[in-house]
Amino acid sequence: MRILVVEDEPLVAQGLKQGLVQLGYAVDVAGSAEEAEGFVGVEEFDMALVDIGLPKADGLHFIRQLRAAGKGLPVLILTARDSMEDTVSGLDAGADDYLTKPYRLPEVAARIRALIRRSNAIADACLRHNGLCLDTRSRSAMLDGDALDLTNREWAILEQLLMASPAVVSKDRLVNSLAGWDKDITPNAVEVHVSRLRSKLAAGNVTIRTIRGIGYRVDAPEN
Amino acid sequence: MRQRLIVALAVPLIIILGVSSVFDYRMARSMSDAASDQGLADAVFDLETHIRNHGLTSRLDLNEESEAMLRSNAPDAIYFSIRDAAGQVLAGDQDIPVFALPAGGKLSFFDASYHDTAMRAAVHRVSIEDTEISITVMETTRKRQRAQREILSGLLLPNLAVIIASLLTVLFGVRRGLLPLGAVEREIAARSPHDLREIDLASSPHEIHPMLRRLNQLFVQLREAAEAQNRFIADAAHQLRTPLAGLQTQIDLAVSEGSFSKNEGRLQSIEQGTAQIGRLLGQLLSYARAEASGSLPGKPERVALEQIVERSASTFFDAALAKDVDLGFDISPVVVTGLQWLLAEALANLIDNAIRYTPPGGCITVRCGKADGKAFLEVEDNGPGIPEVHRQDVFQRFYRIPGSPSNGCGLGLPIVREIAELHGTEVMLISAQPSGLRARLEFPLPAND
Repeated sequence: MRILVVEDEPLVAQGLKQGLVQLGYAVDVAGSAEEAEGFVGVEEFDMALVDIGLPKADGLHFIRQLRAAGKGLPVLILTARDSMEDTVSGLDAGADDYLTKPYRLPEVAARIRALIRRSNAIADACLRHNGLCLDTRSRSAMLDGDALDLTNREWAILEQLLMASPAVVSKDRLVNSLAGWDKDITPNAVEVHVSRLRSKLAAGNVTIRTIRGIGYRVDAPEN
Repeated sequence: MRQRLIVALAVPLIIILGVSSVFDYRMARSMSDAASDQGLADAVFDLETHIRNHGLTSRLDLNEESEAMLRSNAPDAIYFSIRDAAGQVLAGDQDIPVFALPAGGKLSFFDASYHDTAMRAAVHRVSIEDTEISITVMETTRKRQRAQREILSGLLLPNLAVIIASLLTVLFGVRRGLLPLGAVEREIAARSPHDLREIDLASSPHEIHPMLRRLNQLFVQLREAAEAQNRFIADAAHQLRTPLAGLQTQIDLAVSEGSFSKNEGRLQSIEQGTAQIGRLLGQLLSYARAEASGSLPGKPERVALEQIVERSASTFFDAALAKDVDLGFDISPVVVTGLQWLLAEALANLIDNAIRYTPPGGCITVRCGKADGKAFLEVEDNGPGIPEVHRQDVFQRFYRIPGSPSNGCGLGLPIVREIAELHGTEVMLISAQPSGLRARLEFPLPAND
């Protein structure tokens, strides 16, 4: 897994590089948008971490160039600005997610995993999470190498939760996603399905947490 | 200003009316006195004619009829005397005082007193049959006094009425004329200290436009100064964030490499300090952004509170989990008018505070919905709460409740209050039962809801 870090502040860039290398990623650092454009012209990256405040051309410019060149790799913005307008313009430019400085390394790692999971689901149609694998083409599921038998509704719920992780998914949204299978499904029915899912996942390393009054979340993987 | 205007108009008006009344009175009185004197003079001339007709030698017999005619001048009593040059009374009342006529004077008038009564006397010196005699006619002043009183009442009362009417006109006119100033005054008084918008000149009188323009210039300058200050805070916070991110990353690396395995406590202190700086920078930015504007920094839009609350769940669930606090929600859909990112910021600060101050094992519930015709957003915890005496102070920047255990930085509630004020509402701090705090914001429901 190869990651491009576009950051002009050496202390931050080197720290990120060391941390990500420890987690097993291959990391290249570019100190400016121009240097980064040179990198992506000759190498393939699985992911880019981009600082917005770069000298000369800013990070937003680089992301637009990237998307204009037809490159779909996930982009995580790391910004010292956190006003809504800044983040919205970042996402508009084609970024997939953003983090505000100062961030914690485990947080960065979790976001990278989530972005890569989503991008893989598009690329090879597989949602992977701590030993759990949902193949969206064959609609088959594996847990720690063993086949996992899921009903259509359980499948739909788990897919929603995995796609959203580490974000919380509201019960209403799950009801809506199940409406295709079952017109009259109630929030209570969702609870029953989640409870069955939990017992099916109990053997593995994936937990579904309840957020009282809102919904559920597949827990962020431990390091 | 109104007082000064009234005084400046009313005092000269009273003086002018007062002086003119005095002049009027004196003129009217001298005219009435002249008329009365003329009557007295007529009596003198009547006597003179009588004497000339009848001759001096006749010893001036006035028959009763003519004397009665002379004396009839009710209600005034008339007295007269005719004396020769030696002062011998030839006819009339014996004890009438003698008046010293000016040399060569013919008819003269005197004020006198007779039998303890105020009198007016006319004295005339004539030569009849080579004998010089003086004729004195004297009357009481009752009629004159009555005329005086009539003049006084006839003149003063209307004048007094004019004065009072003028004063009322001045009072009313000044008040009425200054009404637009009062409107401007009320507009300024109703402003919050952060509201530095210019005053609309269109609705105020032309005369005060120069003053209002100056005031507006001042507003602009103040606004620019406040914006510059907040921009500086924001820039400084941005600039500090990047090196702090570097520092934070190094600490995280040190943790994962086990660099502090001999001294875990020191690592924890460094981690806590760094986290606190990061949080403080974030809050400084939020506060500067919320405070800078004075009015909503953007066009108000329809904001679904339940969506903001739902999103906050993802943001804060891990922090609550890490502290073993049960973070739950109780939401029903409700729409308010405002700015989404500001309302999200306010909610984030309330939840962050609740997690910070609720001990492990505690419980936090975030609610939104409609109640009593209003939309509400509230965060309730069962932590220690805020004692009544500190309820106002906690809205001060950097205020910390003495002895409070947590590592907050005292900007959370001030930020929430700024945002509440920008949305025309306030933060209510309510004691939760049996313990804890309920921080609540209420909003009017949009009109077409």
